Amino acid sequence: MKSSYSVHGLVSFAVLSVSFVIGFLILASRLKVEQVDSAAEYRRQMQSQSFRRVQTSGLRGRIVDRNGVVLAGNRTVVNIAVNPESYRAKSRGETTEKNILEAIARAEEIIGRPSILDKDDVRRHLKQSLAMPLAAWRDISEEELARFSERQYMLDGFECSIGSERHYPYGMLAAHVLGRVGRDRLPFNPGDERINYIDKELCGRDGLELQYDTLLRGMPGEERVLVDALGFATEREELVEARNGFDLRLTLDYRLQKAAEDALRGLRGAFVAIDPRDGGVRAMVSAPSFDPRECVPVFPRKLYERYSKDPAKPLLNRAVAGQYAPGSTFKPLTALAALSVGIDPGRTHECCGYYEVAGMRIRCARTWGHGDMNLVNAIKNSCNPYFCEIGVKAGTNAIYSVCRKFGLGVKTGIDFPIEGDGLVPDAAEKAKRDPSVRWNSGDVAQTSIGQGLLLVTPLQMALVAAGLGSGKLPVPHLVEGHASPPKEIDIPERDFAHVAEGMRKVVARGTGRLAGERVEADVMGKTGTAEVGSRTNRRKNTWFIAYVTPTPKSAVQEPIAVALVIENGDTGGSTSAPKVGEILRAYYGESEG
Amino acid sequence: MKKFLLRFNWLSFLSMIALIVIGAMVLASAGEARGSEVFASKWKSMLGTAVFGLVLYFTLALTDYRTLFSYLSIPAYGVAVFLLILVLFAGTEQFGGKRWLWFFQPSEISKLCVMAFLAYLFGSREDMFKGHYGFRGFLIASVTIAVPCFLILMEPDLGTTLTLVPAVIVMLLAAGVWRKGLIVLLAAGCVAATMVLAAVYEAEKPGVSAERRAAILKYVPLRPHQVERVKTFLFPETDKNDSGYNLRQSKMTIGAGGFSGKGYGKGESIRRDLLPAMGIMNDFIFCVWAEEMGYMKGSLLLIFLFAALCLSTAWTAVIAGDKRGRIFALGVATLIFAHVYINMGMCIGLVPITGLPLPFLSLGRTFLITIMCALGIVQSISLHREDEK
Repeated sequence: MKSSYSVHGLVSFAVLSVSFVIGFLILASRLKVEQVDSAAEYRRQMQSQSFRRVQTSGLRGRIVDRNGVVLAGNRTVVNIAVNPESYRAKSRGETTEKNILEAIARAEEIIGRPSILDKDDVRRHLKQSLAMPLAAWRDISEEELARFSERQYMLDGFECSIGSERHYPYGMLAAHVLGRVGRDRLPFNPGDERINYIDKELCGRDGLELQYDTLLRGMPGEERVLVDALGFATEREELVEARNGFDLRLTLDYRLQKAAEDALRGLRGAFVAIDPRDGGVRAMVSAPSFDPRECVPVFPRKLYERYSKDPAKPLLNRAVAGQYAPGSTFKPLTALAALSVGIDPGRTHECCGYYEVAGMRIRCARTWGHGDMNLVNAIKNSCNPYFCEIGVKAGTNAIYSVCRKFGLGVKTGIDFPIEGDGLVPDAAEKAKRDPSVRWNSGDVAQTSIGQGLLLVTPLQMALVAAGLGSGKLPVPHLVEGHASPPKEIDIPERDFAHVAEGMRKVVARGTGRLAGERVEADVMGKTGTAEVGSRTNRRKNTWFIAYVTPTPKSAVQEPIAVALVIENGDTGGSTSAPKVGEILRAYYGESEG
Repeated sequence: MKKFLLRFNWLSFLSMIALIVIGAMVLASAGEARGSEVFASKWKSMLGTAVFGLVLYFTLALTDYRTLFSYLSIPAYGVAVFLLILVLFAGTEQFGGKRWLWFFQPSEISKLCVMAFLAYLFGSREDMFKGHYGFRGFLIASVTIAVPCFLILMEPDLGTTLTLVPAVIVMLLAAGVWRKGLIVLLAAGCVAATMVLAAVYEAEKPGVSAERRAAILKYVPLRPHQVERVKTFLFPETDKNDSGYNLRQSKMTIGAGGFSGKGYGKGESIRRDLLPAMGIMNDFIFCVWAEEMGYMKGSLLLIFLFAALCLSTAWTAVIAGDKRGRIFALGVATLIFAHVYINMGMCIGLVPITGLPLPFLSLGRTFLITIMCALGIVQSISLHREDEK
C-alpha cells in the first residue's frame, strides 16, 4: 500500500517538477533578454521619460536711435504662475483641472484681479505643457504683489516670476519703423526633437522688430525638468543660460523723427529723411500712426480689427509701402532726361497755360501761362507745358533710363520687411493694363510731369532728392553698421548743375519758398501736387522733396535729403513746403529774418 | 527530536524564510521611495504578519494533518463559502472590486479551504468512489470548486481563480479522478484558449475594419477590459494606454535594472512614479526588486528561491504518508508556482496583465498568512509521515 503511494508520488513529482523547472527557465531566459540584452535601451527609455527639455529665452535686445536714445526697451514685469504639480488630483472625484481652477479662484480674491486664464486655457496647458508653470497673472502692480506676498502661505504652488515686456519710452514715436512684437513659441532649431517645451518669447511681427528678430532675440537657453510618469514636474535645472538679444542701434535721429512726427500730426502722409552720404535714414514717419503700447503684451484682436477697418490705414507704413504719383517732384528727372538727349537748357518754350498733345490738354498751374520759360525757370515755377514739351522730345526711353538710374520702379533694398516697388511706365506696362490702347506721346507728357501711371514711394523720392543734391544714389538703411558707399549716378555733373540751380530757385523765390523760410541751412527742393482719383473725386497729394546742406551756423552739421508727401493737400508749395520748413527749423535751427 | 529534525523539510522552510526577508526588504525600499509614512512602515506590518504566520506555521506543522483534514476541512469549506457570500454583500470596495471583509480577503483564504477540502474528499474517502474515481468523481469535484470560484469571479477577482484552477487540476490528476476525461478536457481547454487568442488576434491586428472587429469579438467570451489586456499581450507595441502603458512601464523598470541592478534603495521607478501607483507594492513589486537588484542578485535569486520552495513542497508528495497529504502538497506547490509564474510573467509580457500578488513580496497580509498556513500543513505532512515499520 505504502509503496504504491510512493510510486504515485514520485511520478507526480517528476511530471510536476519538470513543468516547474521549464516554467522557471522560461522566466529566467525572458528576464535575461530584458535585463541583460536590452538593459541599455530600457535605461535610455527611462531617461527620456524622466526629463523634459525646455527652451528658454533671454531678454530681447533694445532698439536705440543713433545717439543711444532708447526707442524700444524692456520693462520688468512681475507675473504670477501656478505649478500644476501642487494641485494634481490625489483622490477619486478630483481632477487636476478642477483643483487648479479652484485655487485660481481663491488667489483671485487675494490678489484682487481676475486671472488671465479661463477653463480652456487651463485644460490646454495641462494637456500640452503639464510640466511647466502656468502663467495666471501678467504684469501685476506693486499693490497686488504686496497682497499676494502677504498671503502666499495660503496659496500653495503659486509663484512670482520676473518677466519682461516691450516698453516704449516715447510712446508712439517711430512706431512704424520699430514695428510690433507678439509672443510665440519659436523653435531655435526647428528639427530638434529633444526640445519638449518652448517658452513663449517676444518676437517681431513687423517693422524692424521683424527684420532683425533673430538678432534681437539672442540665443535661447535650455532647462531640464525632471518629471514623473504622469508628467508633473518635480525638479528643474538650468543647462544652458539664455543669452540676451543684441541691441539695435538705428540711424534714426530722435530729434528729427520727433520734429517730423509733430509736423505730421493729424495728417495723412509720410516723411523720409536720409543722409545722402551713406544712406542712413534719419527719420521715417508715416501718419496716422498707431500706439505700440496698446499692442503689449498682446495685440488685441478688436484693436487689430479697428485698425484694419480704418480708411486712414494706421498700420500701413506709407514711407516705404505707400505708392503715390510723384507729381511735379518728378520734373527734375524729366529735365535730366532731356539734357541727356542734348536739349539746350537755355532754349525757351512759351507757356500759354496749357499743353496739347495726342488730343488732350494738360493744364499749367498758372492758367494764363508763364510765357517764355527756360529749364531753370521752368523748375522754379513748376511749369507743366515746358516739361511736357521737353519730355515728349526726350522720349520714353530717356525718361525710363533716368528713372532707373535714380532707382525708381524697383525696391530700394532698405532693411525693412515690406517695401513698395513703385512703377515707371512704358509701352509694355501700359499694354499690360489695357492692350487696346497704345502708348502715345500723351502718356510721355503725363509721365514727364509725374502723373499718369507713374508711382513712387516717399523713400524712393528721398533717394531721388539725395541723388539730385549729391549726384550719388545712396543705399538706404535703418540700422547702423549697414552703410555702404553711395553709387555714382551716370549723369554728367553739368546736367546736375542746371537742375540744382532750378531747385535752389524753387526755395529761394519759387513755388517752395516756405520750405526754406528762416531755416538755418541751404535748402534746394521741388514741390509737387499730384492729382489722383476719378474725375468726380479729385484729390491732391502734395509733395516736397529737398536736399539740405548745413551752413556753419547750423545746429547739425550734416546734409540730409528729405521727401514729404501729404495726402489730400492743397498744393505742394502751400501744404507740404511749410511742413518741411517746420521740420528743418526744428532740426537745423532757426535763422533770423 | 532527532526524528523531527530529520523529517523537517528544511529546504522548504529556509527558502520561505529567505523570501520573507526579501519581501520585507523590497517593501521597505518601495515604501521609503513612495515618500509617505503610511507606505514607509508597511514592511514592518508585513514582518509582524510573517511572525504571526510563523506561529501558525509551526502550530499547523506540529499538528497531525490527518486530524486537521478529518475535523476541519469540511467546516473550513463551509466557512469559506459563507465568507465569500458575505463579502459580496458586506465587503469593502477597492480598485473596482469587492474583495475586503474587515481586514482580510476571503478569496485568499478560500484557496486554502478549497484545496484542503479536495484533499480530504479524494484522499480519505476512497471508499465512497470504489477505487478509482470516474466521471462522477469529476462532477463532485467540479461542483466543489465551482461554487467558490463562481463567488470569487463575482467579486470580481480573475487572478485568484486563475491560480486556483491549475492547482485543482493537478490535485485531481494526482488523485486519479476521471483521468482520461480530464486530459481530454484539458486538451480541449488549451484548444479553446488558443482559439480565443487567435480570434482576438484576428480582430485586433492592424488594418482590421471596425465592423469586422465587432463581428469577431461578438463570439469571444471576454469582457472588453479583458479583450484589451489580451490585445496588449498580443501586440505590446501598439497599445500605449492603460494596460499597454502598465506593461511598457514594468518592462522598462525591470530592464533598466540591468545585470547588476541600481543598488538596494536606489530604484528610480517609484520615486518618479514611473510605475502604476496602485500596483507598486502589490502586482508590480517584482519590478522594484528587479530594478534595484538586477538580473543576477535580483531576478535569478528570486527564481531560485521560488524553485526551491515549489520543488521541496512538491517533494513532500513523494514522502507523504497518504494520498491526502500527497495531493495537498502537489496542490500547494502548483498554487505557489502559478502565482509566481503569472505575476512575474505578467511583468515582462509573458502573460496578460492580471492583478495577482507575488507570494511573500507583495503587500497583502491575508495572502501571506494563507500561503504560510498552507506550507505549515505541508510541513506537517512531512513531519507526520508514516513511521517506517
